[in-house]
Amino acid sequence: MRSFQRVAVLGFGTMGSGIAQVVAASGRDVVVLETDQERLGHGSSAVQDFLDDGVRRGKATEADRDETLARITGTTVVVDLAGVDLVIEAVSERQDIKVELLGRVAEVVGEETVLATNTSALSVTDLAGHLARPERMAGLHFFNPAPVMALVEVVRALQTDGDVVTDLVAFVEAIGKSPVEVKDRPGFLVNRLLMPYLNDVVQEYDNELASAEDIDVAIQLGLGYKLGPLALLDLIGIDVHRHATEAAYETTLDPQFAPPPLLSQMVAAGYLGNKSGRGFRVGTEHGEVR
Amino acid sequence: MTSNKLTVAVLGAGTMGAGIALVAARGGHRTLLRDVSDETVQRGLDTVASFLRRSQSLGKLTQEQADAAIANLSGTTDLQDVAPADVVIEAVFEDLELKKSLLAELDDVVSRDTLFHTNTSTLSVTSIASGSRHPERVVGTHYCNPAQLMKLVEVAEGRHTAAEATRRSLEFLDSVGKTTVITKDRPGFILNRFLIPWENNCIRALEAGLGTVESIDRAVVGALRHPMGPFQLLDVVGLDVHKAVSMRLYEQLREPRFAPPPLVDRMIAAGDLGRKTGRGFYTYDSTRSFGA
Repeated sequence: MRSFQRVAVLGFGTMGSGIAQVVAASGRDVVVLETDQERLGHGSSAVQDFLDDGVRRGKATEADRDETLARITGTTVVVDLAGVDLVIEAVSERQDIKVELLGRVAEVVGEETVLATNTSALSVTDLAGHLARPERMAGLHFFNPAPVMALVEVVRALQTDGDVVTDLVAFVEAIGKSPVEVKDRPGFLVNRLLMPYLNDVVQEYDNELASAEDIDVAIQLGLGYKLGPLALLDLIGIDVHRHATEAAYETTLDPQFAPPPLLSQMVAAGYLGNKSGRGFRVGTEHGEVR
Repeated sequence: MTSNKLTVAVLGAGTMGAGIALVAARGGHRTLLRDVSDETVQRGLDTVASFLRRSQSLGKLTQEQADAAIANLSGTTDLQDVAPADVVIEAVFEDLELKKSLLAELDDVVSRDTLFHTNTSTLSVTSIASGSRHPERVVGTHYCNPAQLMKLVEVAEGRHTAAEATRRSLEFLDSVGKTTVITKDRPGFILNRFLIPWENNCIRALEAGLGTVESIDRAVVGALRHPMGPFQLLDVVGLDVHKAVSMRLYEQLREPRFAPPPLVDRMIAAGDLGRKTGRGFYTYDSTRSFGA
């Protein structure tokens, strides 16, 4: 049983910084790889802000915050990853970028080092197929924001060694998250269920079943969900959802994953949700987006 | 909020009817609960009274409020007693012909400007309204179960519903403390339109081996923060009820994702209907209904 005491995180964006924080908070040393100092600085401040907020709200002490921050180091040099027990890749959701980077990292880290990808839209089996010793590769799919969301999907690729899955499940528990073992199919488990539901809502909204607000209010009050589906899409990002569901559609040709036309129109118009200030709910005080 | 005290008649003293009668009586309206047998009416009235007394003992209502609500409520088996009603809310069995013939009968009992509310979840408001000679007075008002606890009511107009009828209906629902959403008269309105394919999709994922009952529930609660997982919810709803709702939507929409997956039939055949039979996707050590 490996306990993965030294962990490398590839990429210090939203997911990478959240994952680095969670792993460091469990008492493990984390080294984060980024392309330049500016991105490293950006990621560090994201972690710092999140932890400061926790201290303000009484969820953590200043000592906890400082210890977590001290366990995270940044680098722009792949060689600095030598000696880690586990690599968690969280770079751009592009197959060519991930394959190239994982190949370089695999040459530096030990043969026994487990390689995990935080992809949500790509096939783990396909990524593993590009590596020497693909049996040490698996998916470790965190949800955004990683420090808040309890669940982590442990994705078993066709090639993944059984012990790797077992050890990753234990690792997820050790960092305080709830692991669920899933197959490497488009969307794994959660997004496999979520994407058709969100597409269905978008199409019916475009079909003028009800207003965006009334759809969200009905789902929140009637089913007790924290967020209505259209507010959730604004949070996820219209472009992010469209990319994910398009990828699932291309792989399966299953119409439930086909992105409704309104999504593409919104992306073309720059209505990307919360991050652009305009989406289904955000920035629509003067009327509906459709 | 209107301070108008209306006369409200609720037809059907089952779970939904009793819950809606409670809402109307607690909202300050004279409320008549009607069903075909004395026994059913009495059971409905008892359910309402005991809920109100429990609200009182929990401090949610003062004794005066509980007394007033109970005093607002009476029961009958005679449809003629509904005559003075300003609003009639039908909450009888989800059967189109039954609902239509009930509205036809009511046309001869009540005055011209009495509102008819239909608490259908899956039938067409337009079709139900066609039972009345005055479909302009018929409005779809879909309450969630249990009506006395859930704030949401989906409001849908039929093709012939008058704007004035909708306006008065929204005013009434506001007076009893409900939050309303406006939806088109389409199968499943908002809630069931999105819930049913979601649940069926979860069942198909289970059958496809993408997860177990426990792992899928855990994943949905953990990643999407739903109050319960899809299989926990199906066990509460009942597999027989889920199948009936799915089939009614499938018959109207003719889209396969509304059709209940084969596992639903297998579970019904085995008598595994959910919490009410002690076994569904999970096994329960007590058959008492959820929240009882």
